[in-house]
Amino acid sequence: MKSATSARAAAVIARQPRSVSATGRSFAGSSKFGALVESARNLDLFETVSLLTLVLTVIFGFDHWLFHIVARICLLTFVLYPRSLRTPVLWLALALTGTITIILTWELVDNHKYLLDYWLWVLFVVHLFAQPERQLRILLFSARFLLCLTFLAASAQKLASPSYRSGEMFEYYLYVDPRFAAFGKLIGIDPSVGEAVKKRTMFLRSPFAEVQGNDIQIVGSNRARVAALMMTSWDASVQLAIGLLLLIRRQRTDQIAHILLLFFIFTTYIPAPVFGFGWILAIMGLALAKDKFPKIAAAYLVSFFAILLYQLPWRDWVLKS
Amino acid sequence: MLCVPLVALVIVGRQIYLSTRYGLSTWKGGGMGMFAAADERSNRYAKVFLVNSDGNRDPLVQLSSEDFDVLSRALEYPTRENFLRAAKKIARENWIPAYQRRPVLNVNSDGNPIGAGDKSYRVMMPSEIQSDSEGKKSSMEIQFWKISYDPRTRDLRASLAETFAFTSEELFRNQTKQKNS
Repeated sequence: MKSATSARAAAVIARQPRSVSATGRSFAGSSKFGALVESARNLDLFETVSLLTLVLTVIFGFDHWLFHIVARICLLTFVLYPRSLRTPVLWLALALTGTITIILTWELVDNHKYLLDYWLWVLFVVHLFAQPERQLRILLFSARFLLCLTFLAASAQKLASPSYRSGEMFEYYLYVDPRFAAFGKLIGIDPSVGEAVKKRTMFLRSPFAEVQGNDIQIVGSNRARVAALMMTSWDASVQLAIGLLLLIRRQRTDQIAHILLLFFIFTTYIPAPVFGFGWILAIMGLALAKDKFPKIAAAYLVSFFAILLYQLPWRDWVLKS
Repeated sequence: MLCVPLVALVIVGRQIYLSTRYGLSTWKGGGMGMFAAADERSNRYAKVFLVNSDGNRDPLVQLSSEDFDVLSRALEYPTRENFLRAAKKIARENWIPAYQRRPVLNVNSDGNPIGAGDKSYRVMMPSEIQSDSEGKKSSMEIQFWKISYDPRTRDLRASLAETFAFTSEELFRNQTKQKNS
């Protein structure tokens, strides 16, 4: 048992110096980003994607005790037996638990949790096959499909919604949604405007208040209106463009789609704290870009760190300042 | 290879169907419609009333977090069945009235209070003491409201989407059955 573990650990260690030395040679005289690009090129796609997904399940997984336990057991299993990452059983356990969690509270589960569960099932299917070519085909097809589905379905829902198209949604959320409070302040919306709107909303919601005609005028802010309209057009057009460009499956269009996706990830998750969503999109983007676009793959690696950094309590700092 | 994509497509189709037909929030259900409409819990709320046998109504506002969770599910997917589940959960609490009645505040369209109205409600509080379920004769009414915002006129408008009424028999059916068996 002990010797088997040592052999596995040795195998993992033996793999690393090769890539480090290869990377090391190219480090000389090149920029730090160049070194990162080289590292990204040397990564094993399946191991990297699998490991990033496992980390995702632990830090931004399903908010249910059953999933917490299973994800942590899987992480521990990986730490003790690194090869478990390539076994279908580990992914089956995670995917099945994720599915159970979704079924239990499907009306409340966020969309990116569905996306995470699809991805866990994809990794289960990938690891069922022994042939790397087949694994690669399934992984790349699924990553592209899920990215297209996510962005095209999202943009279709947005374009079909009058409250989205009019800018009503983002303007209202800039006033009442605490997630946007700090962002609103940064772009110059006085927090007192949002507070006043929230107070008026409370009158509408309370059974101990009767509002004339159930209609309340709010002060609002022109800046919020402009920002909401900009967010509306930017959000829908970027998402539609990513989905459509990835559908075309050409080198050039893929490249533009990746740049837009990276732009989306780097910018969206600053105001919107849906970090798990950003992380899963970056994993899929990395899977697609790894062999074709090493620089873009390196940028995806940076995005994982950026998403983690976005969790800094900067919203509290902005609101208190 | 195609099983996961097919399931994902079916779920998107189901979400669109439930959203169009039964009011499922655009944000939920796996249709990837997050931030696609002003149509989720920020814009949806419920007013819950305990209706006594004499027809008087008392609003229930001091709901527990578990009650809120069940109510939130109903707000995201506003079917009668989901609101009944919420109503049953809320009705299981032992609601007792506080001594004083609270007048309903009149608010003008600028959002300023303009004084107390003629109407008043009893403030109901959940009690730790469990009452005999046979003694519970109250029924429940849940009003499902939606808020919309008009960016041109800057008006916030609340509209009553649906009212769900539940009889005491519906609320306490299982408890009565258990008692009888």
